[in-house]
Order: sequence, then structure tokens, then C-alpha cells
Amino acid sequence: MATCLTLLLLGALGLLTATGHRTGPASELLTPDPPTQPHFTGCRSREQETFRCWWSVGSFTNLSEPGALAVFFQMTNTLYAGWRECPEYTASVQNECYFNKTYTHIWTSYRVQLRDTAYNITYDERCFTVENIVHPDPPVALNWTLLNVSRSGLNFDILVRWAPPPSADVQMGWMSLKYEVQYRPRNGTRWEKMDLESGTQLSIYGLNTDKEYEVRVRCTMSAFENFGEFSDSVFVQVAQIPSKESMFPVMLLLVFGGVGLLLLLLLIILSQQERLLVILLPPVPAPKIKGIDPELLKKGKMEQLDSLLRSQNVCKPHSAPKDPWVEFIQLDMEDVVEKSETSDTQHLLGLTHLGSSHALSLKGDDDSGRASCYDPDMGAEPESIPPVREVHSPVVARSSFSTHIHSTTTTPEAAGMHIPVQMQPSSQSWINMDFYAQVSDVTPGGGVLLSPGQQSSTPSKNTDMKKKKEDREEDVAEEEEEEGKLQLLVVDSDGGYSSETVARQQAADAASSRVAEQAYHTLSEPPQPHPQAWQGGYLAPDRQPHMPYFSPEAPLASVLPPVSDYTVVQEVGGSHHLLLHSAAPQASVCPPHPLKLPPGEPALPLGYLTPEFLENLSP
Amino acid sequence: LKMMLLQGWLGILFCSIHGMLGSVLDCEVGGVHCTMSIEMLLDRAIQHAELIYRISEETRTQFKETFIPLALVTQQGHADHLCTVILPTPSSKSEVGQISDKWLLHSVLILVQFWINHLVDLQASLDHYDNTPQDLLDKTKWVSSKLMSLEKGLLTLIRKVRWDVLLFFNKNSIADHLASPRTMEHVMRDYTMLSCFRKDAHKIETFLKLFKCRQTDWPGCSFY
Repeated sequence: MATCLTLLLLGALGLLTATGHRTGPASELLTPDPPTQPHFTGCRSREQETFRCWWSVGSFTNLSEPGALAVFFQMTNTLYAGWRECPEYTASVQNECYFNKTYTHIWTSYRVQLRDTAYNITYDERCFTVENIVHPDPPVALNWTLLNVSRSGLNFDILVRWAPPPSADVQMGWMSLKYEVQYRPRNGTRWEKMDLESGTQLSIYGLNTDKEYEVRVRCTMSAFENFGEFSDSVFVQVAQIPSKESMFPVMLLLVFGGVGLLLLLLLIILSQQERLLVILLPPVPAPKIKGIDPELLKKGKMEQLDSLLRSQNVCKPHSAPKDPWVEFIQLDMEDVVEKSETSDTQHLLGLTHLGSSHALSLKGDDDSGRASCYDPDMGAEPESIPPVREVHSPVVARSSFSTHIHSTTTTPEAAGMHIPVQMQPSSQSWINMDFYAQVSDVTPGGGVLLSPGQQSSTPSKNTDMKKKKEDREEDVAEEEEEEGKLQLLVVDSDGGYSSETVARQQAADAASSRVAEQAYHTLSEPPQPHPQAWQGGYLAPDRQPHMPYFSPEAPLASVLPPVSDYTVVQEVGGSHHLLLHSAAPQASVCPPHPLKLPPGEPALPLGYLTPEFLENLSP
Repeated sequence: LKMMLLQGWLGILFCSIHGMLGSVLDCEVGGVHCTMSIEMLLDRAIQHAELIYRISEETRTQFKETFIPLALVTQQGHADHLCTVILPTPSSKSEVGQISDKWLLHSVLILVQFWINHLVDLQASLDHYDNTPQDLLDKTKWVSSKLMSLEKGLLTLIRKVRWDVLLFFNKNSIADHLASPRTMEHVMRDYTMLSCFRKDAHKIETFLKLFKCRQTDWPGCSFY
């Protein structure tokens, strides 16, 4: 079969020559339309199952009568290779040849000719395959739904939906369609084209709320270039929300107003910088001590400062003293401070001029001196004592030791006996001594190393404890009660008193500096507030006899008249008793203990006596 | 006893789920021994066919724009009519309705195999041109590879459906199939080949879709 190509080329040439021939006379007549011969105007298929061809007679009006011109076609790929005439000339439409399903074959080349049957002239010819002339029908059921409106209310998004043309058999797969959506503002001229869509819906974003839009859609076969007609347009418009729109300028105003205010504030701050600084950050007052010129502080005149400080009463009570004797003590304290020039060691060893009546006279006053600086209740907490005590411990030590040493110089035992007697009546004098009841160290065996201040003050501690007991009996706090009770348990024994005195005696008698040093040992670990530990400290017997220790000892009880305030801990033994150790070898100073532990008995651990246990023991 | 039954059912349930998941997962990951259902295979084949058809059309258009001067372009730009019949295929809806599923699938396979062989010639011919755009060559190569994978998929599908694979060997060169005079230039010949290939790619896509429709029980698919 001759190629359509060459035929078409010939046809084109013929056309040209024909037109060229005709234009001659036509140009003379000045006819605007160039004369044309009959030709096909188009061949189209809507659904790939049928197709139509139209033609026009052109200038050959005499051929416009039906039947003057005929369409013949030839199909390739079929057995029948001859020419056939148009199967059906559409009755309603002029110059249309309709090929129904029977005559429509896709993937088949068609060759269609427009002939003048009378004269056997072929005016036009076309070659095509049906799938290449498919122009699908427009989609149907186009509608839109609002997706959302922007926060500013200026823009909105819509979802456009449609259905494929009913004539196209998409479901079976006979045709695969692609859709193109176009939209434009109502009064616009240019259409916005969206990308080809395989599905039947599409979202359009960023439309303006103040405009009305026109949307339309058309389709084509996939990978073909022939679009069908456009569908009917739908009009899209979203009602404006006036409040939102009017809000915008208000917000702008607010923003600008805020910015202006900020600027104003900045200006104010900058201009009044100094004043504001003074108000916001008041200057720190220079250090001031009453009676002392700040100049002294600045220039570092230490000696003058020292003298000044000494002259002043540094330790003044913050509040009105509760007891009248505090004031009394205060005054005495001043005198005492002036005289405390010797070291503690010297005091302990009695190397200083202890024989001064000062010491004795001061015995009773020592407490007062110290008490002026301390809250009477502070004595209950041993750990709080060390830092404050340092100032006055030499004083007390000196005084207490002076008394002690003084007494011991005569007869230790007598002194030992004497002191308690002396001490006992002046219960008050011991009250303040508790501040110095410092356990310098606790030995692994459970023994307690006391500093001289402590030793001397332990009785005061006891008394203070006793006083505390009285105080605390009024207290509701369980801890205090328990503590008091526990303390009392331990302390309330004649032995306790005597033990303290014994300990003091021991310390005093100990000529070796070692003892003194030991005595001066400060607690590496502050005694725990836990009554148990404290109790342990009290109760723990000391293995090392040379270590000063104090434990409730009954033997002195026999020596000393029984004191109603202190009950005697009779026995500690086994796992449920309070054991009372006999005195150490140095205890030869002390009267023999009536109750003696077997030498091999292990020392009680510090925490031996549990609070619960002690509770049981309490009366 | 009840507990045992319950356990048994649970076990079966878990095994089935595992089996399903396993098969799905295997195929997703690309396992060697994964099993795909007929539907999945068919969908994959249709995807291939759609892509191949689209790229073939792009290739043809590009070739036309690059090599064929405007004067020689036909009215429609297609030289489909020059293609010879590789094998008789239905050409209308009614004819398609008269052939069997088996034949549909086999004809697709034959077409695919034909063009795998002949695209090689086309590529060789394209290489001879002086100013062939690289994009064009890449596209033809891509199409060849996709055709081969489509062939594999089709073979698997046919075996799955338990049909015997019809062997159709056509080793004649494309020149024999083109009813074109030898005076035609190489360019036109290649263009014709591309057009024919495009047409056949469209055939492949349509047949596969029709076949898929037939697998469903939708009444519109099986017709007169």
C-alpha cells in the first residue's frame, strides 16, 4: 500500500497548485476567501469505540448536495484490503460520516478519502489510527468543597471533584484518562493550569477570599495529546469574615503601640539611669562597729582595733536575759576576759598562779561569765559548743581546774569527795558548765576522751541535762523527752557525778602531757545529737584505763550522799543491762567500784544501748 | 482440653499471620523467595506497561522534534500505519470480548518479547546519528530494561495462573516487518519503529488492564 506520506505530499502540492491557479482570477475579483476544494475538517473519536469524520465542500457549493461527495475508507491490518464506502452518513448532521463499533478498530490504520463519485476525483485523504484521534468527552459532576480558610482570612483552599465522562469506559481499562483543571478569577483573562491529574479530585490552594473563581476541567487519554472539551465551569466564592479582616488593622495598631511604649521605657531608663540604680540596687553600707572608727578598719590598725574590741563588750545578749544572774555574769565576764592571758595547757596543769583567790572566787562566777554569751539552752547540743567555747574555755578550764587542782593538791580523794560536795549544792554553777562538756574523742572501745573544759563541764552538763529534763518535761516534743530521759538515765547516778570528778581527777593527776593532750583532743567527729550516741559516750566503758573516761560509777555513790535528782544505774551486764565498769588502773585515785566487770568482758559498743532499750529502762 | 484447643487456635492464628506478614514483608524487602499474589503481580505489570508506554511516547516525540524536519511531518505525526502485524490482536471492544484471558496475556508476552529484541536494533541505529541527545538514548535503554522486567513478571504471572507459556519466536529483523520501501531514510525508519513500538506499548497496557478487569467479578468487564 502506498504510503500516506507520499500521498499527502502530493495532495499538498496539488492543493498549492490548485490554489495558485485559482488565486489568479480570484484576486481579480477581490474575493476575500480563497477558493478551496472539498476537504475533511476533522475526524474524531469520543470513546475509542466509534468515530466520525466531517468534511466541507469549500467553494464547491455545487457539491453540497448530499450524495455528491462520498467518503471511502480503507483499513490496514485487515483481511479486507479494498475500499469501502462510509458505513453511515449521519442523517441529522450534514457532511458527517459515522463509523460505528463494527467498523472501528483501534491499533489499525485508517485511510479515508473524500471523493467526487461522479468524476472520480479524490479531493482529500486522511491517515490515522483511531486511538490517535480520540478526544474524550468532558468530565461531569464538577463540584468543590472548602478545605480551610487561612488564619488571616485572606486565603482559602478548596478541593475540586469530578467524574469521568460516562461515555469513556474507564472502569474496564479501555481508556486511561488524565485530567487538567483550570481556574481563573471571575473577571480574569488568563487561566491557571494545574498539572495533569490521574485521579478525579484535586486541591487548589491559595485562593483569595475577596475574589470569585471559575474552575473547569477537561481530560485526555493518557500519553496522548488530544484534549476533549472543557466541562461546564463552577464558580467558587468564599464569604469573607469581616471580623477577622477588621481585626488586622487593630492588631497592627497594638503592635506599633507596644513597640512605642517599649521605646519610651528605654528612653526613661536611659535618662534616669542613676536614679533608678540607686532605687533598685541600694548601696551596701560600709562596715560599722559601734564605737569604732571605720577609718581604723580601713587602714588596718590592728592593735588599736584589738584594744578597742576588748574594751567593748562584744558578747552582749541579743535579747533581754531571762535570768537575772546572766547580767551578773556579764559584768564578771568582762573582768575574766581581761585576765585570760595564759594558755589552756597551763591552766590544766595548774602551772599558772592558781593559788590566786581569784580562781576560787571566780569559781562560781565562771559560769556566769560564760553564760552571758550563750543561750542557756545551747548546752544541750554538744556539737554547738565547741566553736563558741573556745573563747571562754580557757577561762573556765582555768577556773575549774584551778579549783580542782587546788583541791587535789591536798588529797585526791578528799578533793574528789570534796568537789562533788562543793558542786552539788551549787547546782546552778554547773548549769552553765554544760557548754564545755566537750567530748574530745571517742575511742574505738567506746571510751570517751574529754577535754578539760568538757570534763569540768560534764557535771554542768548533767545539771543542765537535769535542768533540761525539768524544762523538757514541760515539752511535748518526744525527741527532747526521750533525750532528756536518756540523758537522765545515764547521768542520773551518783556514779555519774563521781565519775566526772574522777575523770577530772584523773586528768588532773595525769602528769603526762599525753593525758592532757588527749584531754585536749577535740572531737574529730562532733558528738551526734542522737541520744544513742551520746548515751554511748556516756555509757561506753573505756578499755584503756589511762584514757579518761567517765561512766556512771556506783562506788562513789556509797561515798557521796545520795542525791535525789540522780538515780543510780545499778548494773549493766549481758545484753540487757547497763554495765558499770570499774575504774581504770588510774582509778586507784577513785574509790573502788563496787560492781566490777570481769576483765575479759568486751566493751559495749557505742550504739549498744538502743533508744528503745533505754526507753524500757527509764523509770 | 479447652486450653489446648485455645492454644491450638492461637498457634494457627499466629502462624497464619506470620506467614502472611512474612510473605508480604519478603516481597516488600525484595526477598528472593517471596511470593506475590496474582493481583500484586498484575498491578506491578500494569505499572510497568503504563510507564513504558509513556516513555515510548516521549521518545517518539523527542525523536520527531530532533530529527524530522517539519516538511516531512505528516498531518498527525504518526507513522503507525506502517507497522506490520506481529500477531493478530483484537482491535475493538467487541473483539477483545471474544478472546480468552489466556490469549490476552500471551499476546502481551509476545509483544513484549518482540520489542525487547528489536529495540536493540533501534538503539544501535540511534547511536549512529551524529547529534543524538543523550536523553533519548537513556530513554531507550530505560525502556529496554523495563520491558525485560515486565517480561519476567508476565512469565511469573502466567506460571502462577498455571498456563503453559506459549513460545513465539520471531527472529526476523524489524526491517522485514516494515512495509516500507527501502528508499526510506534511516530516520524515517527509526521514527516508524518508534511509532510502532508506541502503538504496541499502548496495546500491552490496554490488554493488561482488560485482563485485570476480568480477574475481578465486575460485570462490565466480561462482555459480549
